[in-house]
Amino acid sequence: MKRIIVLATLLFTFCVDAVDKAFFEQVIVHNVERSIVSAKQISTSIKQGKSKKSQALFTQLVRNWKKVETTYMLGDLNEDFLDTPRYIDIFHGNNEDIKAQLDLIIGTNDDLSYALYKHSHKTINALEYLLFTQDLSNARVNAMALIMAKSIEHYLQEIKSAYQTHQAKFVQDEQFASAILLNTLVNSAYALKEWRIGDVAGLSKKYKGHADARRAEYAISQNSTVAILSILQAHKQVIDASSHKDFGDVARKFGAIKEINKTIDLLNQAIAQVEKMQEQDLPNPKGKLLYQSTNQLMQSYYLSLMSKLGFVSKVLDADGD
Amino acid sequence: MAINPLEYLIDPHRRIYWVFLFSSVVIAAIFLWLNPKKRRLNFSKKLWLHPSALLDYGYFIFISVFKVLVIFPVLIGAEEVALWVNDFLLTQYGFTRIEGFSYTQVMVFFTLSLFILSDFSRYWLHRFLHTVPWLWAFHKVHHSAKVLTPLTFYRVHPVESLLFGLRYSLIIGLVSGVFIYGFGAMIDVVDILGVNALAFVFSLVGSNLRHSHIGISFGVIIERFLISPKQHQIHHSKQHTNVNFGGFLAIWDWAFNSLMLSKSVNRLKFGIKQDEMKKFSRFHQLILSPFYLLFKSNS
Repeated sequence: MKRIIVLATLLFTFCVDAVDKAFFEQVIVHNVERSIVSAKQISTSIKQGKSKKSQALFTQLVRNWKKVETTYMLGDLNEDFLDTPRYIDIFHGNNEDIKAQLDLIIGTNDDLSYALYKHSHKTINALEYLLFTQDLSNARVNAMALIMAKSIEHYLQEIKSAYQTHQAKFVQDEQFASAILLNTLVNSAYALKEWRIGDVAGLSKKYKGHADARRAEYAISQNSTVAILSILQAHKQVIDASSHKDFGDVARKFGAIKEINKTIDLLNQAIAQVEKMQEQDLPNPKGKLLYQSTNQLMQSYYLSLMSKLGFVSKVLDADGD
Repeated sequence: MAINPLEYLIDPHRRIYWVFLFSSVVIAAIFLWLNPKKRRLNFSKKLWLHPSALLDYGYFIFISVFKVLVIFPVLIGAEEVALWVNDFLLTQYGFTRIEGFSYTQVMVFFTLSLFILSDFSRYWLHRFLHTVPWLWAFHKVHHSAKVLTPLTFYRVHPVESLLFGLRYSLIIGLVSGVFIYGFGAMIDVVDILGVNALAFVFSLVGSNLRHSHIGISFGVIIERFLISPKQHQIHHSKQHTNVNFGGFLAIWDWAFNSLMLSKSVNRLKFGIKQDEMKKFSRFHQLILSPFYLLFKSNS
């Protein structure tokens, strides 16, 4: 227990220490920039009607976008941007069946600028459906895919621009910055464990005992494990990176090398598990193992949050009168 | 956790932190300046070297060490409770994040919730200590003080310390768990020297005078909201033991009909029934008498 508290304290110390300008530029903004490049590349490829290349670039877009989504803190910096990720990605945030709606739109001659009026019609999920189930050489499908890719790029540009606008707010208040950063990690760890792994492997409360590979985030394109790996890598950027000051650096500074390595091992263990996984492994024992690892990761984030509160030290004597 | 009782004086989380003692001395000095008749008693050796006061001093050293060595290790921590509550809510209702509140707003709301719910639970535990016969057997240790000194605060039986520790862990853990579930890392406590700001301010304005012979009243209006030193002294009087259970706030006493205002009482005689006082006059009796009395009442 003592070790856990030491680790948690150091993790929090790291958060306060690490959320500086370099972190913001090298992780937050850099990830958005890479996603924008991916979105542009996929637009070009769609324009050229290259189906296979577009599919490969889609994987790249997923990889980059998941990193942006994992560390998305813009909603905390400016409420107007709370819903922006929903305009790019509707996984677990929208119950409508966009596949049927997209099929309907493909089958009509309506002006696409009106037909694709919903945000959900222009998301990465909609783009996945078109690129992996429809014929890109079909002019209408191609035009639709292009609108989707452009929309994704547009919102990514908005995110980048807003991050740059609000950089000062993030960097100025370390306490607030570390809180929203820790929250993004907790949010992401929960969504990863429960929705991206638990729902598929039949381990979540909602689908206990009923595994189903179709619930995977990118079941159509078989990019779900790519997304999971990218999410974990984003966590690594925050807690165990080599390019900027991180948790490991602070730990070494305090001489707690063994203890810190143990926590980072948890994340590395999950990454190693995903690297050996295929899409079809999610509903089987490998998925269960990954579920357990990500659950432990989430718990460790909560522990770091607890240490911030310093329960014992924030009250007076607990005796009566 | 301090095992050296003297560390209590330099620890802001303690009732007898030197700043709180100092502020109480200043307030007491003003009170005595305005009420010269009270000086004789408050400066007398008879008060500060009374056998009951001496027992308080010795018992304080014992209980401060005993708490660290025996009570805290067996107590469930507030962190564990908070983790459990958060985990329970996550499992039952899934993940959620309450948006739209600033960091400062959440911090103030959390600080207020901790303070109010902690005070509320203190009120009820204190009331139960008086109204449940077997609990009263242990709480008599505290009420057996014939004179009141700031260290009388620590004159509590280990069983009572355990109960208050448990109350603390459960309430603070529950409130924290709910806030963590709703706000995640956005929560923090508004604090002064690491202590909940509200608790700090209330401690600064004379909480050490609750266990003293400085009968400061807050007046009939404020005493319905905040417990004054005099009101707590009334609670320690033989005739009015079952009133004024409140910690910082008097609203609980007001709401649950146990409030007594200072103006209602003139003469105070501290302690419990005369025949029972003898059973709590020595160190070992403070520890053993509650068990003996319980055994006797059951046989």
